[in-house]
Amino acid sequence: MMQTLEILFSQQFLVRALIVGVLISLCCALLGVSLVLKRFSMIGDGLSHVGFGAMAIAAAAGVAPLYFALPIVILAAFLLLRMSEKGKIKGDAAIALISTGALAVGVMVTSMTTGMNVDIYNYMFGSILTMSGSDVVISSILSLVVIALFGIFYNEIFAVTFDESFAKATGTKTSLYNMLISALTAVTIVIGMKMMGALLISSLIIFPTVTSMRLCKSFRSVVLTSSLTSVLCFLAGLLISIKFEAPTGASVVCVNIALLAVFSLVKAISGLNKPSVLKRILVAAVCALSLTAFAAVMLAGESSSYKKEKPTVVATAFAQYDFARQISGDRAEVIMLLAPGEESHTYEPTPEDIMKIQQCDVFVYGGGESDRWADNILQTAPESVRVIKMLDLVELHKAKHGHTHGDGHAHEDEEYDEHVWTSPLNAAEIVSAISEAIIEADGENAGFYEENANKLIDGLLRLDIEFEKLIAENRGKSIIVGDRFPFRYFAERYSLNYSAAFPGCSAQAEANPKTIADLIEKAKAENIDTVFKVDLSKGNVAHTIAEGVGARVETLYSCHVISAEDYENGESYISLMRRNLEALRQSFE
Amino acid sequence: MSLISAKNIYLRYENTSVVEDLSFNVEAGDYLCIVGENGSGKSTLIKSILGLKETAKGHLHMGDGLTSKQIGYLPQQKAAQRDFPASVWEVVLSGCLTSKNGGIFFSKKQKELALSNMEKLDILPLKNKCYRELSGGQQQRVLLARALCATEKMILLDEPVTGLDPVVTAEFYSLIRKINSKYGITVIMVSHDLFTAVNNATHILHLRKTDSFFGTTAEYLKSEIYKSFSGGDTL
Repeated sequence: MMQTLEILFSQQFLVRALIVGVLISLCCALLGVSLVLKRFSMIGDGLSHVGFGAMAIAAAAGVAPLYFALPIVILAAFLLLRMSEKGKIKGDAAIALISTGALAVGVMVTSMTTGMNVDIYNYMFGSILTMSGSDVVISSILSLVVIALFGIFYNEIFAVTFDESFAKATGTKTSLYNMLISALTAVTIVIGMKMMGALLISSLIIFPTVTSMRLCKSFRSVVLTSSLTSVLCFLAGLLISIKFEAPTGASVVCVNIALLAVFSLVKAISGLNKPSVLKRILVAAVCALSLTAFAAVMLAGESSSYKKEKPTVVATAFAQYDFARQISGDRAEVIMLLAPGEESHTYEPTPEDIMKIQQCDVFVYGGGESDRWADNILQTAPESVRVIKMLDLVELHKAKHGHTHGDGHAHEDEEYDEHVWTSPLNAAEIVSAISEAIIEADGENAGFYEENANKLIDGLLRLDIEFEKLIAENRGKSIIVGDRFPFRYFAERYSLNYSAAFPGCSAQAEANPKTIADLIEKAKAENIDTVFKVDLSKGNVAHTIAEGVGARVETLYSCHVISAEDYENGESYISLMRRNLEALRQSFE
Repeated sequence: MSLISAKNIYLRYENTSVVEDLSFNVEAGDYLCIVGENGSGKSTLIKSILGLKETAKGHLHMGDGLTSKQIGYLPQQKAAQRDFPASVWEVVLSGCLTSKNGGIFFSKKQKELALSNMEKLDILPLKNKCYRELSGGQQQRVLLARALCATEKMILLDEPVTGLDPVVTAEFYSLIRKINSKYGITVIMVSHDLFTAVNNATHILHLRKTDSFFGTTAEYLKSEIYKSFSGGDTL
């Protein structure tokens, strides 16, 4: 077990996560005590939504999110403080107003610019494992400043928290210290968002304090206990996220929930026997220790699985995974990071995933916007990792696509598609690149790999001819996709006419009502009896359109993520694309 | 010289005038009770004395080296404090914050002051107890000890016995008398309780919008305002 840990913590990304995580946990615990006791718990939540809005705007405007969000969130913190001090709008209402308002602005801005891309998901759920070096430096400095200021003004913060009217009457500058607490909270929220995400960061502020308040009887012991539990929960959460390949933020919160339950239980039990304070602290310490022991034990079962005889290929999504496994047969280990059925846009690498990437021989990924996390990891990957960036293999598709809606006005979006493999020709391109890389890693089996690759390329070329024939025979007909559209390379290859509900392939929340109406009109005008949805999508928009026209809904497979069922049945890129072929054929009839 | 002297002052609450043309004096060693109906401006006057609010007209004069920051204040309790995890020691010591002047830690002298004030109020044995687990009367003693740490001359108590039972209330009043007579601390207390006010205080300030009464307790007992306020009962 120690060996596993040793390997893990020799990884730079984990060391970074560890440093920043511990510091942020400390900041949150310290400020949390004051906020919870002042009945300001929800301020953290409100500010994190403001932070989300600010980050969304920063991402849209192309400015560094941290530098943009920091002043905005601090400003919002002061505003919240003033609003609740003035008492014109009650504190909780003020927070709800600001937080939901900022969230709405953030969503508006993202929907008008990039769509819900990966960055935005990261701000919502956090991605502590993909921090850049400068992120780490800034976060560390800021959290050290927060901790230092809290220490220096500890007595003042206590006085202001416990009894503001007394402190003010006896000459403590309460509004100054309230502003200090607000500003420190704002800073903590912004740097903590990277780790925990906007939706979860406030739990780090609230849980440790509430937990330690179960048992502690003085302010100082609450401060110390919540700092300790906060750090312990972070460490345990990180370990759990490694063990179960779970997102770190959510794991940390779950450990916090467990610890709160333990403390509440201890309080209930000790309330019956009335033991001394010392005894209670002892019980608490035992609980905390057993919790960490539990986390450690979970790791113990893990034997070092990183020793390998076969070459390993790590593929982010299904298409390239399928290619690699067809090429290598049983002579290489091929790993797919996006689990069957997983939503690709919310994917976040687990520590395990990052380890796999850093220790593999061949890494195949798209290289587009949604894969930016991988670029971060690759910066610290050893030279032995051969990287295949699929977008680089084919000409970058950044065409202004002017697919028309029913009324004929062109919808111009400068957006590029990352699903390069949807054209079988591109797929063949990717296959040869992968086979070259695998052969480089494992020359002994060169002939075997080459043969498999050639067989696969043959199949892809046949598929290409069949698509070309079908679409050429039906020139002039078009298809309607009531979904996002990850088939731009495909459509381009065969000059297929299409209309889609969403311009790009981002998982947007809502379709524009006007677009839906236009698509219904178009389907009626062209007598179209099939509306397509994309696999793994619920197809709500497609069904709405289909109902409007009286058409049926069929599925197109993007081969980005495979459904669990298809995966079990051993479906491949070619078999899924053949389904597309069949569906298109039927729609044209 | 008076500790506090007010001459023809006017007080406002939000935009309404609540007290007009008020004059009174507080001398060292006095025990002044401020009485009056709800909304008569007691809280506003307290804020003015504590320097948290300007008078609308006229001036509250502090003399004899007293500043508004050196008044030990015992505010009304807030609900949030009742479940606040703080030890008695922490609460009392926080009264010394005014005299801390910049340093990060409390000095030895300040800690000794806190201890001696706890001793005066018989709460030394409670030192390490949790504030929220004390009885109402004990909590008030703790807050009183904190107020004493913040002052050398004067304490100001805002309805300190609210919610206490009669026995504890009586104990608390005798404690205030002791602080006033034995330790020479000037006391200003806002009270609802007219009976104890006239029994304890040396001076009474009965707030009304225009014709407030200020004088010694003996004068007050003879006044019309007392007779009408107490329903004509004489003691």
